[in-house]
Amino acid sequence: MNDALFQVNAPGADVEKLVADIRAAVEKKMRDGAYADARIARAERTNLVNLRNEDQFLGFYLKCLHDAVFVDISDFEIRERRPLFGPLLIALKKVIWSLLKFYTYRLWSQQNQVNGLIVTAIEGLDEKYAEKIKTLEQRVAELEKRK
Amino acid sequence: MSRAQRIAFVCPRFSEKGTVGGAETLLKALAEQAAEMGREVDFLTTCAESHFTWENVLPAGSRRIGKLNVHFFPVDSRDTATFFRVQTAISNRGNFTEHDEELWIRNSVNSEALYQHLRENGNRYDRIVTGPYLFGVTFFASLIHPSKTLMVPCLHDEPFAYLSIMQKLFRSVSGFMFNAEPERDFARRLFNIDPARCTVVGLGMDPFEADPAAFAKRHKLTAPYVIFCGRRETGKGTPLLCDYMAAFRERTGRDVRVVFTGSGPIEAPASLEPFIMDLGFVSDREKHEAMAGAVAFIHPSVLESLGIVLLESWLARTPVLVHAKSEVLRWQCARSGGGLWFRGYPEFEEELTLLLDQPDVRARLGKAGEAYVRSEYAWTAVRKRMFDALDGTAS
Repeated sequence: MNDALFQVNAPGADVEKLVADIRAAVEKKMRDGAYADARIARAERTNLVNLRNEDQFLGFYLKCLHDAVFVDISDFEIRERRPLFGPLLIALKKVIWSLLKFYTYRLWSQQNQVNGLIVTAIEGLDEKYAEKIKTLEQRVAELEKRK
Repeated sequence: MSRAQRIAFVCPRFSEKGTVGGAETLLKALAEQAAEMGREVDFLTTCAESHFTWENVLPAGSRRIGKLNVHFFPVDSRDTATFFRVQTAISNRGNFTEHDEELWIRNSVNSEALYQHLRENGNRYDRIVTGPYLFGVTFFASLIHPSKTLMVPCLHDEPFAYLSIMQKLFRSVSGFMFNAEPERDFARRLFNIDPARCTVVGLGMDPFEADPAAFAKRHKLTAPYVIFCGRRETGKGTPLLCDYMAAFRERTGRDVRVVFTGSGPIEAPASLEPFIMDLGFVSDREKHEAMAGAVAFIHPSVLESLGIVLLESWLARTPVLVHAKSEVLRWQCARSGGGLWFRGYPEFEEELTLLLDQPDVRARLGKAGEAYVRSEYAWTAVRKRMFDALDGTAS
């Protein structure tokens, strides 16, 4: 997933430059879609509060969220860590899951639909306001030029 | 100002064993250094050990502990329901009045017996050192003899710093001993403090030698690992660290483990749980060896005024990765050249990959960090800054 981006050969590491280089490389990879990943959206859940004022972060997060929004409701491997009665417990869990699946499937699929609609609405708002801001900034720049 | 011969340190908790938070460790260490250098030091604290319950578990009274005269005072009974109600409103930047702020600080951790001691004996002290700023004990003790009080605020950019009662506190005391320049600059911006009242002191660190291979060998750990030491809680960013490491393992397919020391529950995704090693409280030697063998120390907290574990990690020659939102930790990394900072997961992934793939870079950052701590946080340097502040000779 991660190709080597940097070779630092200077005798003393200039960390400011190193971080700046990493940011530039990340931005490029971001544009190429390397981080549009549901796993990143989940990993960033506690970072949202820290970065809500960063200009680029919301757009990036929405891209990740686009994939993360649909909760996996299909069957999954049922495991048991306790060695004692392990196979018995797995069998019991499988029975419980097969009974619950019928009732919960409809509920979760509706929730997925709602999640999808909400993300689409937020993306729409983000695009709309980004466009508006861009237009306003262009107008302000033109007006300032005329002064 | 004259030489401060008799000094009282005031702090909500004191531990002989050193299992309290960073601010308490800092106040205790400064007090011990002052006593070591021939000053008469009283340490005024409460009978509480837990910062969750604030239950009076230690016996009240005075004891000689090392070179300190430690006076333990009982915590007053308090209305915790009111305290938490207002605290939640403040934390969420909700609606609250100045009266609510008063209610909050009055129902914080207070000790009338300690205040009485300061009222009666304040004249005996040349200087009173209080901290950290967020507790009732610090707040009210600082206002008893403000003209001779120096505060070690351990200030963060958080909703509590913006309370109007804090304006009163920060404008009243005689001076400050800050942990780092960004903390000082933030306080100056917020409270319009005269630079002459501000000194950046910090905490002295004793250098140590740690075998980087010993920890992994002892625990039969063959995979590379990252480490976090300290309290495990949302405020310290440990859920973020776990989320990032789970994503890192999944996305890169690399087997990198996570080692924790310290206290508190670890909130981790199920996929990461088998790859976490939770050591709980360990000896300093164990901690230092674990740090020395790690690829990086990861400190994702955004609310730090010094970052003691960061300095320890550098003494173990291990580089650090910190959250860019923490002005203090970022400043420490930029100044030392001992670490990198990330704003979000993508930068974190690239930085950790860099340290894993290029051991020479890892070694260079670690060495730069070590050199920085050895010069900036040697006790000789810290003591000079502290006595400059205490004796009023700081410029």
